[in-house]
Amino acid sequence: MTHPTGAQINRDLLRPLLFTSWRFYLLVAFFGFFVLAGLVAWAAQMTLGFGISGIRWPVYWGFYVTNFVFWIGISHAGTLISAILRLVNAGWRRPVTRCAEVITVFALLIGAMFPIIHLGRPWLAFWLFPYPSERLLWPNFRSPLVWDFFAINTYLTGSILFLFLPMIPDFAVIRDKATGMRRRIYGALALGWRGTPKQWHRLESAMQIMAIAIIPVAVSVHTIVSFDFSMAPVPMWNTTVFGPYFVAGAIFSGIAGLLIAMALLRKFLHLEDYLHPVHFENLGKLLLVMALLWGYFVFNERLVTYYGNEPAEMTVFWQTQNGPYAPLFWTMVIGNFVLPLILMGIKRFRTITGCVIASISVVVGMWLERFLIIVPALSHKYLPYSFGIYRPNPVEIVITAATFAAMALLYVLFAKFVPIISLWELKAGEHPSPELIPPATEEHRLGDLHL
Amino acid sequence: MTLREPQGHPEQGRGVKAVYGLYPTGSSAQQAVNRLRAAGVADQEITIMSAQPMEDFEFGHIDKATCMWWIACGGGLVGMSLGFFLSWLTETSWPMNVGGLPTWAWWPNIIIIFELTMLGAIVATVGTLVVTAFLPGRGQGRLYDPEVTEGQILVGVENPVDSRVADFQKALEAPTGARVKTL
Amino acid sequence: MARWGMTADLDRCNGCGGCVVACHAENNISTVGPEQASRGRAKHWIRVERYWEGDFPDVKLKFRPTMCQQCGNAPCEPVCPTYASHHTEDGLNAQVYNRCIGTRYCANACPYNARFFDFFNPSWEKPLQLQLNPDVSLREVGVMEKCTFCVQRIRGTQTTAKAEAREVRDGEIQPACVQACSTRALVFGDLEDPESAVSRLSRSPRGSKLLEDVGTRPAVTYLARLTDEI
Repeated sequence: MTHPTGAQINRDLLRPLLFTSWRFYLLVAFFGFFVLAGLVAWAAQMTLGFGISGIRWPVYWGFYVTNFVFWIGISHAGTLISAILRLVNAGWRRPVTRCAEVITVFALLIGAMFPIIHLGRPWLAFWLFPYPSERLLWPNFRSPLVWDFFAINTYLTGSILFLFLPMIPDFAVIRDKATGMRRRIYGALALGWRGTPKQWHRLESAMQIMAIAIIPVAVSVHTIVSFDFSMAPVPMWNTTVFGPYFVAGAIFSGIAGLLIAMALLRKFLHLEDYLHPVHFENLGKLLLVMALLWGYFVFNERLVTYYGNEPAEMTVFWQTQNGPYAPLFWTMVIGNFVLPLILMGIKRFRTITGCVIASISVVVGMWLERFLIIVPALSHKYLPYSFGIYRPNPVEIVITAATFAAMALLYVLFAKFVPIISLWELKAGEHPSPELIPPATEEHRLGDLHL
Repeated sequence: MTLREPQGHPEQGRGVKAVYGLYPTGSSAQQAVNRLRAAGVADQEITIMSAQPMEDFEFGHIDKATCMWWIACGGGLVGMSLGFFLSWLTETSWPMNVGGLPTWAWWPNIIIIFELTMLGAIVATVGTLVVTAFLPGRGQGRLYDPEVTEGQILVGVENPVDSRVADFQKALEAPTGARVKTL
Repeated sequence: MARWGMTADLDRCNGCGGCVVACHAENNISTVGPEQASRGRAKHWIRVERYWEGDFPDVKLKFRPTMCQQCGNAPCEPVCPTYASHHTEDGLNAQVYNRCIGTRYCANACPYNARFFDFFNPSWEKPLQLQLNPDVSLREVGVMEKCTFCVQRIRGTQTTAKAEAREVRDGEIQPACVQACSTRALVFGDLEDPESAVSRLSRSPRGSKLLEDVGTRPAVTYLARLTDEI
């Protein structure tokens, strides 16, 4: 494993910005096509009427709300890695922080689209914003959906700023290397960065404050998303475990998303010298812990329901255990629990490939988990006459696929314009002061890098 | 071995704008800072620039005071009051009966208050950073050398007194690997 | 201040469905066609829920006309982000179409599944548009709608009574379903008046609320059927 130094780091990590191959354009065209298809589908839904979706009485929330919760969950990657690892000063986070923060911002942007997509009258979505109107109406601050609005906007603002702050010194590097229009744009973004100790102190204080502030916000965001369900008297929704359950699930899916992104970046941008197997191993161990935690919460929720034996709740319960939703449920259990436990628990399998396979199964499993929380409960509420089966329609499937394409597209574009690994943080890890960081153990050494 | 570029004659009526050295390692930069201090330069007048925070060297800790934490707390307080008054004023001015809940209660509104508190703290922090980026630094000008981003550490003095320029150059040349430049 | 309520005598109800048709006519509820109805898009503000029990020949039939219960502790109200669903002073759960942005949270929260979403803009084949009720607004695509206890009739009668400087008489206000019920199973009136028909019937020992244990405090009382045999 080689250990690159200053100028080499600049060269390697700025290469995607300076050289563009045909593969980039192909990727953009490919993902852009699906994103366009999604936009067309959404336009069709708005003009032809919401009825072209699969939503029906009484299952009024389906794919769109599933995607909403799923993408907000994925967005917890950045917070965990960046903020928590920064605060505990874990050195192995350095190459990984920006990849993670980027996932957070883009997943939030995509997730925040869905409350608008799933509205019956999306052109009136601005009514959720508190402004003095001539109708003397303000949003209902007691509604979980308004809490969603505030929480997601706060988290989005915080994440974008948390992503932007550490990019400032990197923009300065690019500014110094670029010419013409690019120099002006990056120069403006660099906010006159020179690198004096005072500027470094300000930046690091700001990042410390942001890290401390963003963690409670992230926890609150997914708790509030869970309140969308637990505040309604629907069988198997009205439970207090949803708050921590959703947060744990979010961090779980976030780590999985991050592992996939890291593996792809490592392969396509040739970052083998920067993203070492030990990074994947460490994140893989975190994935294992979160898989166990997820299993604990699911067991908790199900045992309490089963023990209560309340008729309405048990109807929903059996839907997933041995009813029509059982195949999806057991796929979810295998994807979220069995496979990650095997692959991440056994050291021999905790390779980069193993991490990626486990992460993909977790992403699939977590999407199914959101679906299985929402749809079986809504289709079997209290009065059997009004039970109903939900089937997604093409417009919902197209929009769902478009969001995955949108994520990939945004990521590819980002990696083209901003170095995907933070240059200065990587260099700062080269010579940490002995009194600041305790002596490294063998497994934390990356070549000559002491962490 | 030190490199000294030929000294250009200062233009008529204008003094030397800056004299600085570029150092490949933190320890030689630290030596340069110490020598400048020995030459009688105050800490605030020494310009230091680096491509990463040099926290393990003493010079990286110059000028550490920052009131950003207080600003963040202040921003949080502003956000908290905004959240409180927004919910209280709107819910009591136009009372709506929803599910028999009280007109204004802590439980549901604390969420809005919390989110706006955090938003206030975040925006205040970043706002301070952006605003101070555009304010002129204390006694420091616009000296910059692109070699800093290549990994060199810049240590120098801006707008030096003409008579001291030679002293400064001598001080800056002494550490190993120094490259002294004069503007 | 009045508090409007309803009783439904399940012993009198014969499941004819007249209430459903009358509601559609009075409240400008469009039909959606067989294909959409099979996909669950029908909007029956009042519906007759029908359950079969047992195998032939020992079949028992239970049915119950179900509409919005105008709950005192309505779960649909706190969750609406735009206050489109809120409680009026006379005990009705109001649905304000103009404020609705169609999040459908209220429909999910309703344990009775009494709320309906407009999946398409309504349409009536000519000349059926001539029978639309001018007192009731048409709902465009994307808003929620539900039984309002024919609030247009309530307000209309209240206005007439005020103009005539008198109180509203018991039994004077009849929502469309109550008016159309062939067996007079549905009774509507003011629960605040202890002598009104609806108050007396709600106090009947046969009376119970639908899904009372969910805690919604509905304003509709169902009087139990005396026999389950058809």
